[in-house]
Amino acid sequence: MLGKRTLTGRIGFALAILLLVSFSLLPFAQILSTSLKHQYDWGNPSLIPQTINLDAYKELLGLTEAKKVEIPAAIQKILNNPKLPKDKKEAIAAKYTSNENLFPFGKYMLNSVIFSVGAATFSLIFSVMGAYSISRLRFKGQVVIQRSVLFVYMVGGVLLMVPLYQMAMNIGLASSLWGSAFCLFLIYIVQTLPVGMYMLGNYFRGIPFALEEAAMMDGCSRKEAIIKVVLPLSLPMLATVFIYCFIIGWNEYLFASVFLKQYPEFHTLPLALQELFVSKNAIWDRIMAASMLTLAPIVICFLFASRFMKGGKTDGGVKG
Amino acid sequence: MTPLERAEAKFGWKLVAPTILILGLLILYPLMYNVYLSFFDVQLNGYKTFVGLENYIKLLTNTDYYSAIGTTSLYLLGTVVGTTLLGLAMALLLKDPFKGRGLVNAAIMLPYVAPVISVVFGWQFLFDPISGVVNYLFVDVLGIWSERTNLIGNPDSALWVVVLFDIWKHAPIAYLLILSKLVSVSRDQYEAAAIDGYGPIGRFFHVTLPELYFVLATVVLLRLIWNLNRFEDVYLLAPNVQTLPIFTYYQAFTGVIDQGLAAATSVIQLAVLSVFIWFYIKKIMKW
Repeated sequence: MLGKRTLTGRIGFALAILLLVSFSLLPFAQILSTSLKHQYDWGNPSLIPQTINLDAYKELLGLTEAKKVEIPAAIQKILNNPKLPKDKKEAIAAKYTSNENLFPFGKYMLNSVIFSVGAATFSLIFSVMGAYSISRLRFKGQVVIQRSVLFVYMVGGVLLMVPLYQMAMNIGLASSLWGSAFCLFLIYIVQTLPVGMYMLGNYFRGIPFALEEAAMMDGCSRKEAIIKVVLPLSLPMLATVFIYCFIIGWNEYLFASVFLKQYPEFHTLPLALQELFVSKNAIWDRIMAASMLTLAPIVICFLFASRFMKGGKTDGGVKG
Repeated sequence: MTPLERAEAKFGWKLVAPTILILGLLILYPLMYNVYLSFFDVQLNGYKTFVGLENYIKLLTNTDYYSAIGTTSLYLLGTVVGTTLLGLAMALLLKDPFKGRGLVNAAIMLPYVAPVISVVFGWQFLFDPISGVVNYLFVDVLGIWSERTNLIGNPDSALWVVVLFDIWKHAPIAYLLILSKLVSVSRDQYEAAAIDGYGPIGRFFHVTLPELYFVLATVVLLRLIWNLNRFEDVYLLAPNVQTLPIFTYYQAFTGVIDQGLAAATSVIQLAVLSVFIWFYIKKIMKW
């Protein structure tokens, strides 16, 4: 319908595609380009660096040696004061000797992996059970449950941050490191469970019931039929749902900032990157390299999952 | 009820029980608890005193609240219109197969899956007053602006950057939804319209658009639902653009902390959101 048969039509079509792809990819190209540029090169609008600079990546991945920081003379004087209690001295010394420039990227990445993979795993298990129940079994109250799941799926995190924080405070979880981490973990499960159930529910409905029936006639129980017939048939969808839940957890910032801001050792990548950006150590190449490394796992997952996401098969069930 | 049906119902409840428990405890209960909190003066450490309707009165007499509502309305208007139109254009453009369509598809889906936290830095750099390519383009190359400006630094212009960012990030979803409907429109209808003498534009308005009416309504409604609560995309790119979620976040966790007031804001927002969701479930959902 765009008149692709004529030459001008074809050129117009190619130009439109080119424009669209550039619009989509430009910010990514900018991130990659800046992460590889030397500082003197930042103002240069060209996306191609004059010389490739890998320092930022090396630093983030811990391939350069940490620089030793000298304790300033004035502070040394305070430390030499015999009246000061020993633990105070150690605290001060630690503050000045710790290399503030160092950004423990690996640790943050590990935190992010633990939170998002863990939550996605639990979420997948619960959503398989729930989705099977509401899409295949008939019982009273089923419709109410379906609609409630959809409803809670669409309630954004912003509306829940105050009550969830207060609940965690009331039972004493928010005041401890592990308690906060536990809360965040539960919240990630809750945030991904409805979408998992929704996607899987639609998928299970498309599997012919006769297959299960045949397995049950062969002597399988319903549970065995699910495990031996339904799950193997849904493997691609299970992978997609898992990746989808993983991406949601990996990208999440709001609740991480509410619960973990005061515990730097448990920061996830989004939180750590934001803290780095607002800190005085914000250097474009380092931020861009960190962005690139945060992006990479998602792009890999997406390229895998996109094979199953084509043609709107997720049917509007996607968050965002 | 036969024993078999009873067993099926029992099994069904058993399977869905963990989900009900966890969603009830961590979403439905907090939503109700939020209403309760909105009648209290709530400290960050959990200490509460009953204040009745004071939070609501404070909120409704706060001019910042109204300006947040205004900002949110502009944000919703810009993103809903922009995303729907771009999604539609993308679907029309990419409907017919051509060489390399898979690659193009992957490229345009990338903004949607990429973590907000990493792409905002790319955007911030693009709009950077000193090194950014946007200023370079408009000041040095095209000469439209007389001097370099910090578009993200100024809340008024930052709003439109944030809108553009959202369109960039979420048009792919609109595209997928519209495309799945578009490919199911039968060729016969186009041929019939062509015989009736309609050109490409006439066919678009007389065949395509009526067929897409329902899916476009879906896209608009979904955008409204998701963007009303959009937090990260706005806050991380331009924290000075105060849409309602950011307004609430500042009330609840920064500066002079007033979690009761934040709760009251959320209650009102939930009421509006519920209307959208109700519409969606009633008119659009088939489950």
